[in-house]
Amino acid sequence: MGLETMPVSKLHAESSYDPADFPVPTGREEEWRFTPLSRLKGLHNGTAAPTGNVVVEVDAAPEVTVETVGRDDSRIGAAYVPSDRVSAQAYASFEKATVITVPREVVASRPTVINVRGLGEGAGHGATYGHIVVRVEPMAQAVLVLDHTGGAVYADNVEFAVGEGATLKVVSLQDWADGAVHVSHHHAQLGKDATFRSFVVTLGGDLVRLSPSVSYTAPGGDADLTGLYFVDAGQHLEHRLWVDHGVPNCRSNVTYKGALQGDGAHAVWIGDVIIRAEAEGTDTYELNRNLLLTDGARADSVPNLEILTGEVAGAGHASASGRLDDEHIFYLQARGIPYDEARRLVVHGFFAQLLEKIEVEEIRERVLSAVEAELAR
Amino acid sequence: MTLTDRPELEGLGNYKFGWADSDVAGAAARRGLSEEVVRNISQLKNEPEWMLDLRLKGLRLFGKKPMPTWGSDLSGIDFDNIKYFVRSTEKQAASWDELPADIKNTYDKLGIPDAEKQRLIAGVAAQYESEVVYHKIREDLEEKGVIFVDTDTGLREHEDIFKEYFGSVIPVGDNKFASLNTAVWSGGSFIYVPPNVNVEIPLQAYFRINTENMGQFERTLIIVDENSYVHYVEGCTAPIYSSDSLHSAVVEIIVKKNARCRYTTIQNWSNNVYNLVTKRAVAYEGATMEWIDGNIGSKVTMKYPAVYLMGEHAKGETLSVAFAGEGQHQDAGAKMVHLAPKTSSTIVSKSVARGGGRTSYRGLVQIEEGAAGSASTVKCDALLVDQISRSDTYPYVDVREDDVSMGHEATVSKVSEDQLFYLMSRGLNEDEAMAMIVRGFVEPIARELPMEYALELNRLIELQMEGAVG
Repeated sequence: MGLETMPVSKLHAESSYDPADFPVPTGREEEWRFTPLSRLKGLHNGTAAPTGNVVVEVDAAPEVTVETVGRDDSRIGAAYVPSDRVSAQAYASFEKATVITVPREVVASRPTVINVRGLGEGAGHGATYGHIVVRVEPMAQAVLVLDHTGGAVYADNVEFAVGEGATLKVVSLQDWADGAVHVSHHHAQLGKDATFRSFVVTLGGDLVRLSPSVSYTAPGGDADLTGLYFVDAGQHLEHRLWVDHGVPNCRSNVTYKGALQGDGAHAVWIGDVIIRAEAEGTDTYELNRNLLLTDGARADSVPNLEILTGEVAGAGHASASGRLDDEHIFYLQARGIPYDEARRLVVHGFFAQLLEKIEVEEIRERVLSAVEAELAR
Repeated sequence: MTLTDRPELEGLGNYKFGWADSDVAGAAARRGLSEEVVRNISQLKNEPEWMLDLRLKGLRLFGKKPMPTWGSDLSGIDFDNIKYFVRSTEKQAASWDELPADIKNTYDKLGIPDAEKQRLIAGVAAQYESEVVYHKIREDLEEKGVIFVDTDTGLREHEDIFKEYFGSVIPVGDNKFASLNTAVWSGGSFIYVPPNVNVEIPLQAYFRINTENMGQFERTLIIVDENSYVHYVEGCTAPIYSSDSLHSAVVEIIVKKNARCRYTTIQNWSNNVYNLVTKRAVAYEGATMEWIDGNIGSKVTMKYPAVYLMGEHAKGETLSVAFAGEGQHQDAGAKMVHLAPKTSSTIVSKSVARGGGRTSYRGLVQIEEGAAGSASTVKCDALLVDQISRSDTYPYVDVREDDVSMGHEATVSKVSEDQLFYLMSRGLNEDEAMAMIVRGFVEPIARELPMEYALELNRLIELQMEGAVG
């Protein structure tokens, strides 16, 4: 019987710390076929020299410890093994890693902000590889902001290890300058009854490919992954979600929404979920919505779901792409609101539900005004 | 408790069509594929030169194209062990009585002559091994100019229409199995419905594999001219053998302006058949193409009926239902390509996996630039009835136009205890209750089938679900 000889799933079957274990992508592979490889500045084929300049500065809550460590630190790579070529390249190439620890039972009094700033012009000169480890020890709670700005060619991996009963809320902003290239993996490993909230906002850069993933080490883990993106002419913004339910009674919810405007605006959203045979009682749902505001924009949306047990609490996904609803606009116009204003209101409505979820007030304001600025273009 | 520790369930999967006839023609047939085999088929059929050239091109492309690495595991197919052409009778029969006794018995057992007698169908084609052995169309339809013949006869008698459309929807190099089919195709149906003809009762074809390690490669070509309607129904069965057979058909359909075509398949191959089929239709302005696809049998099925929406207001619809039991993988879905403005498509897929089987929905909706005002909805629901079965959903959406609406939704659920309890408290036993829930689940599709097929589907569900409660 052939069915048993195959790997259980073809989704994310490979992982290794060594880039040599992954062939150089050609663009025909399932996981690379949407990404314009020519715009990756060599991150995918080993030709990107590590001569770029990206600074990582942490403004931490007083209860939180921040360390800059060398490659040999044992906490690096403990929660995550790279799952594609660029991720492995970043893992093999970074010099210093940032390790952030929220000690056991500590509740951080304010958000910890990690500024990742590219000092290059646009794509800058050469690439930079980075690595961040965030450890939230049992019963601790913290809010974290990852703020990416400036110009760079940047590949990095971020590991979130969320301990038993701990809570971590992360906002990751990709607000790069035009021309920047960013390929990143965010992996969260959840312990027993751990809670993880991720909010991703991707606005700037020539090409951003962000792969948030979640795995569980014990029952009771709860993950919410939320995303918002606004794609302009010529931009390629790609989000590749991967939730691996391997233990019973965990929960995940993925909600990503994006708006696209302008020629060549390209959004890619991949939402992979597997519920393994052991993961009985899993509850999962994924949703992606794309709002195409003008001609010439393209949205690819692929939710994949593999379920190996019948004992699920709930499983499903939904994806929809469409233009602004004429009826909504008409309704508002009929009440004397001009077209531009009506359009703005509808887009606001589209994102409003998500924006409410952003924990940090200043960030919410910033995202709101960024969306505002995009719409005014 | 899982199914695997219930010895009383071992008799499950009692496939009703698993008998085999004595097999003289099949035993003599040679195995393996070569240029000589292809030339032989073409020569036996007295084909024109252009068809032989096309077959040889198909053979070359088949050799060159890699096996698909996505989808199901196809490593069990041994192309050298397959019999590519088996002629079961020298001459096509005009009445059931003229058929060799074995073959006639087969179709009697399947109930086909009976259905014809009762005039439930407007025409019948029965394909046994590589060729169509029986063929009949109602006289009134023939008078209106409707052509319904087997594809070999189609090529002989209507070469002009044939040549114009053959390979125009699915080119010879479309995929590895379409190339293979082009190289060794034999049998299938050729249908032409002239303008303004409404074929009220379905045309029906019945495909049967009898020989072990047989490869059946039928080729169906349907042309529905302007303002016409036709409903074509096909059913498939095969005996149970210990080694595998291959069914690799190509179906091409052209639906012209304002015409409508409905194509219904109840695929019930035995669990040792690889079913790898390419089906595609083009729908022109105002035309409607409907695929109704039931996959119950086979070891592995990979089938994604497609509609290319070429003209304004063209409409495509796929209703698909799949059952996978032990050792089965149903990798089925649909493909909708919107190439013109204001086109619409709907995909509804329902699947049930049990006993360790696997169902996968794999679909593509592509809205090309210029297809403004198009709309598509995709809905897939999967029902899991035990802990050891598997259900996957791989939808793919590609939108390149802003003025469209596109939605996809999937749910996967298990049969709820409440529903079972409710039915059992009213005196049904657990199996009956389970079967009733599953019938309710697939009802939206069953009601689209011709009556006798809906009954057949219900009966198959009952067989499939018997003792399925773990």
